[in-house]
Amino acid sequence: MIAREMFEEFKARFGPLIERADLPSDRRLFVFVDRSVVKFVCQHIFRELDARYVASIGTDDRPFSGKFLVAHNFAFDKDHVLCSVLTQLPENDLKIDSITKMVPAASWAEREMRDLLGIEPVGHEYLKRLVLPDGWPEGKHPLRKDVPWNEVPESYNEDNEFKFDETPEGCTVVPFGPFHPTLDEPAHFRLYVEGEMVRGCEYRGFMVHRGIEKLAESVMSYNDIPMLAERICGICGCVHSVAYVQAVEEAAALKPPPRAEYIRTIMLELERLHSHLLWVGLACHIVGFDTLFMQSFRIREPVMWIAEKISGNRKTYAICLIGGVRRDITHDIKAELRVVLDKLESEWRPVVSAVSKDRNIQKRTCGVGVANKLLVKNLGLLGPVARAAGVEIDCRHDHPYAAYDRVEFDVITAQSADVWGRVVVRMNEVFESIKIIRQCLDKMEDGPLQLEIKDELPVGRMGLSSVEAPRGESHHFVITGENNRPRRWRVRAPTYQNLQGVPMMIKDQQIADMTISLGSIDPCFSCTDRLETIDLRSGTTKVWSQKELLELTWAKTKTMTK
Amino acid sequence: MNGSLIWRIVGGVLNVGVVLLVAPLCQGVLRKVTARVQSRQGPPLLQPYFDLLKLLGKEDIESGETPPMQRFAAYLSLATVLTVACLVPMGFVAPMNGVADIILLIYLLTLCGICTLLAGLAAGSTYSLVGASREMMSMITLEPLLAIALIVGAVHTGSFRLDTVLNGSVYETNGVPWSGLIMLVVMILSFQAFVQRVPFDISEAETELMEGPLMEYSGPKLALFKYAQMAKLVIYSALFVRMFVPWGSQFVFPLAGLVFWAMFWAKVLVVVLLVTLVAATHARYRIDQAIRFFASLFAVALGALVLASYGY
Repeated sequence: MIAREMFEEFKARFGPLIERADLPSDRRLFVFVDRSVVKFVCQHIFRELDARYVASIGTDDRPFSGKFLVAHNFAFDKDHVLCSVLTQLPENDLKIDSITKMVPAASWAEREMRDLLGIEPVGHEYLKRLVLPDGWPEGKHPLRKDVPWNEVPESYNEDNEFKFDETPEGCTVVPFGPFHPTLDEPAHFRLYVEGEMVRGCEYRGFMVHRGIEKLAESVMSYNDIPMLAERICGICGCVHSVAYVQAVEEAAALKPPPRAEYIRTIMLELERLHSHLLWVGLACHIVGFDTLFMQSFRIREPVMWIAEKISGNRKTYAICLIGGVRRDITHDIKAELRVVLDKLESEWRPVVSAVSKDRNIQKRTCGVGVANKLLVKNLGLLGPVARAAGVEIDCRHDHPYAAYDRVEFDVITAQSADVWGRVVVRMNEVFESIKIIRQCLDKMEDGPLQLEIKDELPVGRMGLSSVEAPRGESHHFVITGENNRPRRWRVRAPTYQNLQGVPMMIKDQQIADMTISLGSIDPCFSCTDRLETIDLRSGTTKVWSQKELLELTWAKTKTMTK
Repeated sequence: MNGSLIWRIVGGVLNVGVVLLVAPLCQGVLRKVTARVQSRQGPPLLQPYFDLLKLLGKEDIESGETPPMQRFAAYLSLATVLTVACLVPMGFVAPMNGVADIILLIYLLTLCGICTLLAGLAAGSTYSLVGASREMMSMITLEPLLAIALIVGAVHTGSFRLDTVLNGSVYETNGVPWSGLIMLVVMILSFQAFVQRVPFDISEAETELMEGPLMEYSGPKLALFKYAQMAKLVIYSALFVRMFVPWGSQFVFPLAGLVFWAMFWAKVLVVVLLVTLVAATHARYRIDQAIRFFASLFAVALGALVLASYGY
């Protein structure tokens, strides 16, 4: 089914309640529906047409249309179509039927919409605060257009604490976070534990929400944002910049030159290589197998070096711009890259065969952190988590972008649905990445790196882009706007979905399995809170407040930029 | 009588001194070898000495729920380990021979585990409590293994004396020493757990429990605990050598004695190296997996005890 056929189908089923549609290509469908029918359209798409839930986006569109906009995005992976169900809400009645009951995966996205825009999902059963900090006053919604990007409300009360739900009977609480040696970033899992068994857990994250989307919509310009997007994640930054750039290119109907697409593909795969090698190392560290941790970091290092040669940085390549890339892969670097890949392949093969035969590691990972097909479908789990459960989804294959339609590779899957499956999938994906880079190097044609863009980008167009990050699909949604910047840019990182699956993965498992289960989704949170200093001379203790710390950092930044 | 008293004092001081001196070195060897296995440079061989000195020089901070108990646990832990050092013949006769017997040895070894338990309870945090409960569980299943090995020796020799039992006594049967061989295998399989190394460092599991019972320790108290753990590795290795590979390290007078003494410590070093290699090539087990493993070993050990009582 192509997008137009889908639209016809919706129209036949729901009649005039389907208002209109944008069909920029066979693979994209933006369908505007009446808000009374949103719930049923989503149910139809998710259950009967068996689409995958991707993300929900809320927008304050008042300056342009006088209304708020809500979009639920779905992916028809087998048909290679991305579909967005949009509806408009009047300013004075910000209510929309919640779809969480039919599409459990939408739970966080709806809570986020409520926090940041004040759009009330009617019928959502768990409307606890998700994104906003605990000191933030009720009724203030930072993503609305009339709130300045740098405003901190007067009534902000930093002493407010998060209230966790009641502890189930017979359980003790084991706080896993906000800081824990296996979490590289702050996040708080409150485990309800009976003996050594985890009976449940509550999550409080978003402790370092940086307001990147708001910043982009208010002060940055189109070509600044790829650099900002790259800083969303320290591991898969390139994924975010490519995804953003592609979304804008799609909205503005730009096509980057082929050489640029190949270079993007190569950088994305280099990123996947280093990320997977890092993950296998960390997973081994979590189960106490430090030798393999060290070895996989050693094997990974040349990938970082070659990335530095190409882009000037080990990480955060800053290589993407709208309409192309900033740096070329020269003939010399090509040769060097091939050598790196050969060495990597020959060193990684023995590791894979050693791990595959290691009963010891299997004992710690088989049957642990299970996320079966049903959970994957309901919570929209992504990437290696889904593929380990035998769900064959991979954006590189399903929604090809950059040069992925010109290379051949296999989508690696496993059937065990547990942590071991994820280990196997990630280990073997390394070989696929090597294969892809080699093909790109062979096929890469000469030509320009950058499209010449003479006119201003059109206003009010929408673009979707899904990029397969090492952890799963990274989805970006862009509405182009005035002043050389997008009106709305929404980022849905893969961990956003996968994290929602963690409570189910660790339920009724041992505490010892918690870390590796969480680790197996390769979580990516993001840092800074409070710190305590002790004056040695007087022996007095001073706790720095968040405000004082912020002022200190601002002062420091000023002295450094002078 | 006086002569033997002097020997005892000399032996005791020597044993304790050597253990204190050698333990950080063994740790250094362990870290260096581990680093080599992991393609790393590794710290200098003498680093553990500096680490201990640094910790000892730090401010002594009271923390956790019951600081006095915490302090007591740290002192007791090193004291216990050093007392054990006086009970084990390390290249000489056991200094406390005749005064103490293997029953006391078994009790003292259990006391080492109890120190960890106390430390965990004193800290009072969730993680340390979980660590303490894991320690307790593994202690209950683990300690009997060593006790049985000692008792098998006692059964064979008909004696509880330290120098008699701790001298390869498990093999002292008329025919093939089946019970001794079985206990050898059992001890090899469980040895990592006695010295609290991967794959059985479950009660401290850094990535799960953040050092568990030790999480509230810092400065000098942490130094004592760390010192005790290093000494434990040496003492258990010495015990293992005395029980299962004692040949060539008996106490003979002066010159030959020195050679045998050196040989004894060389064997201890080999055991330490083996521990290192196993630790570097394994992942940590979960507590339930470990307990099941120990339980099956325990069943085998009981079988060996039965064999021993029938003279095999």
